[in-house]
Amino acid sequence: MQPQPRREILIAGALALVLLVLMPALNAWVPQDSLLHVSNFTINVWGKYLAYGILAISVDLLWGYTGLLSLGQALFFSLGGYMLGMHLMLMIGKLGQYKSDLPDFLVFLGHTFLPAFWKPFYSFAFAMLMVFLLPMLLAKVFGFLAFRSRIKGVYFSILTQALTYGASLMFFRNDMLLGGNNGFTDFKFLLGADIRSAGTQRTLYICTGIALMAVYFGCRWLTRTKFGLIQRAIRDSETRVLFSGYSAANYKLFVFVVAAGIASLGGALYVTQVGIINPSEMTPDKSLEAVVWVAVGGRGTLVGPILGAVVVNALKSWATRAIPDLWLILLGSLFLGVVLFLPEGLISIPAKIRSLFTRSKPLDPQESAVSKANAPAA
Amino acid sequence: MIRACLSLVFFLALELSGAVAAGPAEVVAKAVLLEDKSEEQIALIKELDPTPELISLLTLWKEGGIFLLEGPSNTKIPVVLDPLKGTDDKQAAKLLATGLPHTDSDGKPARLIASDLNAAETDSDLRTAMKSILDLAGLAADDRSARLQAVETLGMEQDPSRLPALRGRLEKETDEEVRHTIREAIALTELKSSDPAAVVIACRTLGELGSIRSQDALKAIAKDSGPTAKAAQEALRKIELHLQAANTWGTIFRGLSLGSVLLVAALGLAVTFGLMGVINMAHGEMIAVGAYTTYVVQCIFGPGLELSPFGIHITLPSLKTSGWIYDSYFLVAIPLSFLTAALAGIALERTVIRFLYRRPLESLLATWGVSLVVQQLFRLTFGANNVQVASPRWLSGHWTFSDVSLGWNRVFVICFAAAIVAGVFLLLARTPLGLLIRAVMQNRSMAACMGVRTERVNLLTFGLGSGLAGLAGAFLSQIGNVGPSLGQSYIVDAFMTVVVGGVGSLFGTIFSALGIGMVDQSLQQILGNPVLGKILVLAGIILFLQWRPAGLFVSRSRSLEN
Amino acid sequence: MTQKSFLLSAEGVNKSFDGFKAINDLNFYLESGELRTVIGPNGAGKTTFLDLITGRTQADTGTIEFEGRHNLKEMSEHEIYRLGIGRKFQTPTVYTDHSVTENLILSLAGSRGVFSSLFFRLGSDQKDRIDEILKTINLTEHRDRKAGTLAHGQKQWLEIGMLLAQEAKLLLVDEPAAGMTDEETARTGELLLSLAGKHTIVVIEHDMVFVRQISQGRKVTVLHQGSVLCEGPVDSVQSDPKVIEVYLGRKHAR
Repeated sequence: MQPQPRREILIAGALALVLLVLMPALNAWVPQDSLLHVSNFTINVWGKYLAYGILAISVDLLWGYTGLLSLGQALFFSLGGYMLGMHLMLMIGKLGQYKSDLPDFLVFLGHTFLPAFWKPFYSFAFAMLMVFLLPMLLAKVFGFLAFRSRIKGVYFSILTQALTYGASLMFFRNDMLLGGNNGFTDFKFLLGADIRSAGTQRTLYICTGIALMAVYFGCRWLTRTKFGLIQRAIRDSETRVLFSGYSAANYKLFVFVVAAGIASLGGALYVTQVGIINPSEMTPDKSLEAVVWVAVGGRGTLVGPILGAVVVNALKSWATRAIPDLWLILLGSLFLGVVLFLPEGLISIPAKIRSLFTRSKPLDPQESAVSKANAPAA
Repeated sequence: MIRACLSLVFFLALELSGAVAAGPAEVVAKAVLLEDKSEEQIALIKELDPTPELISLLTLWKEGGIFLLEGPSNTKIPVVLDPLKGTDDKQAAKLLATGLPHTDSDGKPARLIASDLNAAETDSDLRTAMKSILDLAGLAADDRSARLQAVETLGMEQDPSRLPALRGRLEKETDEEVRHTIREAIALTELKSSDPAAVVIACRTLGELGSIRSQDALKAIAKDSGPTAKAAQEALRKIELHLQAANTWGTIFRGLSLGSVLLVAALGLAVTFGLMGVINMAHGEMIAVGAYTTYVVQCIFGPGLELSPFGIHITLPSLKTSGWIYDSYFLVAIPLSFLTAALAGIALERTVIRFLYRRPLESLLATWGVSLVVQQLFRLTFGANNVQVASPRWLSGHWTFSDVSLGWNRVFVICFAAAIVAGVFLLLARTPLGLLIRAVMQNRSMAACMGVRTERVNLLTFGLGSGLAGLAGAFLSQIGNVGPSLGQSYIVDAFMTVVVGGVGSLFGTIFSALGIGMVDQSLQQILGNPVLGKILVLAGIILFLQWRPAGLFVSRSRSLEN
Repeated sequence: MTQKSFLLSAEGVNKSFDGFKAINDLNFYLESGELRTVIGPNGAGKTTFLDLITGRTQADTGTIEFEGRHNLKEMSEHEIYRLGIGRKFQTPTVYTDHSVTENLILSLAGSRGVFSSLFFRLGSDQKDRIDEILKTINLTEHRDRKAGTLAHGQKQWLEIGMLLAQEAKLLLVDEPAAGMTDEETARTGELLLSLAGKHTIVVIEHDMVFVRQISQGRKVTVLHQGSVLCEGPVDSVQSDPKVIEVYLGRKHAR
């Protein structure tokens, strides 16, 4: 339902070209002293942004399109990270501090053999399967319970917040055997390649970019089907949807499960590039941070979340170095400002400027679309 | 510390008594000089009456507070030091025997450094003898807790020679708890008796008393056979029952107090979220505002406070109070916490929330932004670490009743929660403001048509909710840490409490707070693991909402949308 | 049940909210093909009655049966909908952010499953059906407008169109003339009359002029305090002393 689909695809294509082809090329083949060189650090940082972009899309698919403000997306994101992280931990082999086959933290906890649930994670394929399976299964169970009892609006937010909080408490515990509060880090190899080498990182960056594109186009397709119509109908008037004979619960469950899978994929890609995953990634605050990206970029669109994720995180990278004390104040105010003064996000700015000049159309249809999304879902 | 106090007391006593002849001080001084001859030392001190003076002397000795100085021609002089240290770490010395100032070779009062001196030593036999004298003396102490302590120690010694003293005390003793403990001590000692009949009786007594302390001694007897073993087993079974009961009551008490904490934390939320429908994620920070207010008030009453937010130095004056005035800082802090948090809430309502009525999801997001900002402001103002809020003396300590220990602060939390709840109910039910609040919350537009200034009512309601959060903060400062993220640790629980109780029902909030508190503590008791218990509670809440999606108490209305 | 020929039968239905008896021992029978008008003063329980039929609230006691087979009391909204009971709400509830056509697409009869919605393609006969409905409800030229931007009356018609798209056996229409201009009201009446016979329709209405227009000798039911006060042709109902007493002056308002 975007106003100019062709232009949107053009922009997306151009961006993809820059991010997926140009940047890696400048990183790989332009000499380091050249002005045009893109450093390994930059590639790594952008890889992180793009992984966050995937998370942001999952938040928007729920919030912007279906009216479900889930504060559990950080949980699914981290679960993805943990699933792949388990595989990466096993791939360290005897190169850990304790020179043991076991991950260091298990040795530290006094374990002498690998717990059974760790064993299948020697297989990369299994780990990737779990990246999708486990979060989606959790989403299915939780979503089933929540939607069945008609929990909606802020109640849904509060409940997902509690879910995330409970899960983070669990992962902080050492006897979960998932690294306690230190989580997983010090990864060495991924599919036999040195995970920290520039080449691997570049490949991972490209993979993240491709995954983001795939998620983007997948969601674009999804939101344009009849399913998308129903999705937005649920957002605008869930009661009416019931009286049109649709089981809103099933539709919401489907979106929730899909969004969990998307977030988890983002988390798995994130962990390979950032090199660490721990329970502090799965707090409700992290979910809310992802909501900020979407709000800043522009909810109810698919480009908005990506834009927001990149802009806010770039700002964060700068601010946490330049003005560390003020970063949280900046983030909070940014969010406050966007909610109060720019509810359609950055993406709406060009349209706003344009309408300043033309003034012929008093009511921009796109604008009313989003302001409707602001209204309570029930 | 104790030693310093003791020597102060004794020092003064010496000064007063001056050179009264053959007092206990003189005898003790003599005993001190009999180094290494513990039998003679013991004989000497056993002859003395257990007066308070002797007790402080012996204690001082035991704690290494009596020093031996080299006197002329290989003699030694026992002295004690004035606890007041000079700037040069030197202390004035007095002769133990006479209380006169010790003079150096020039005839001037000597000033010595404690760490340079040799303390009069005690060997283990002497210490045991001293302790038994002290314990026996303790039986007659005026202070109730000192008596209790003495009885408990004597009981654990299981020394039959103590029985007459214990029995004698039992006749005189009037305090119920001390009597209970003396009977326990007597029975415990009787377990060592050679007469099986006496042992059986003692076992029975211990069982009836539910004596947790005697479990080990009883277990030893229960291993044997015969009537004594049987009696011991029976006693152990009774004690076990008693222990279970005590644990159950303890759990109930802890559950009640946790429930009260939740209630106090959630009550404000029940007003802003339940009545107004505003999701205030900064509610936790309102709690923190209250807690920090308490901290600041405490600092003003005490040593003062220096803050430097954004590089600006602010010095808060100190009233330099102490004693009961200092302890009453909390009474000042309570209303101030309410006020500051209410003002903060009003400011929040004016600047942010009033634009977001009827847009709950957005108020959630905006107030989360506020909460980030406020947390960081706390960090910049008060530092990232927790600050220390000392409980006033009347809130520390605890009350033990039949082996159930009730902390005063927790008892206070329970009473206070009850008081706030009653206050809120009275406010809503009996005052004109309450009437207006209820009217506006039920039907905003209708109230507006009737001439109610809904804007102002919103403002006041939000102020009330925030003020209640501030009160919660004042409380939480007494039972936990005060830090920038204080609010975060309560916000999830508070929301859960309100949702489970049924949004819009204050009554429901009370029930759910107490219920969640009880379940949480029981699970902790059963599982022996606080985190696991908490996770189960969260899972339980999700399942509970399957059964009652709208919470315990549904505020049903005839309007069907929303 | 004995009333095999009734499309809808409600017997001994009770429903109370917080002690307030909204529906009180209600008995109501509707034959297939009827156009029934239900009138009654405010608080008579008209809307609650529709809520009970459509599963929005559950009756405390009594039975509500559809086609003599389906016990509506134990079904959820979307299941009841799928039986062919459609409802038009008192305030127009259309999907404001969707276009008129999209509103109708969402209401078209057919599978309601999640996966079929993913691969849904609008067939040519469905397109024809939509065109036909658009013509019936007079919104052909507004087909691509967002429903939220339609005039009040047009929204009401769109909602009726959505019931038609659904191919509902029973149309429950709650105060269709509320807030309409006289001209819009008259056209709404015509619309309902054109549907009578083809569909079974229950209309809840206040406006007696409108009631007279659409009832035309058909049966009218008067609800009062949650139960049926009387039933019959509009003229006899209007002259019934009980009804006059209940309305007391209100009857002549329009």
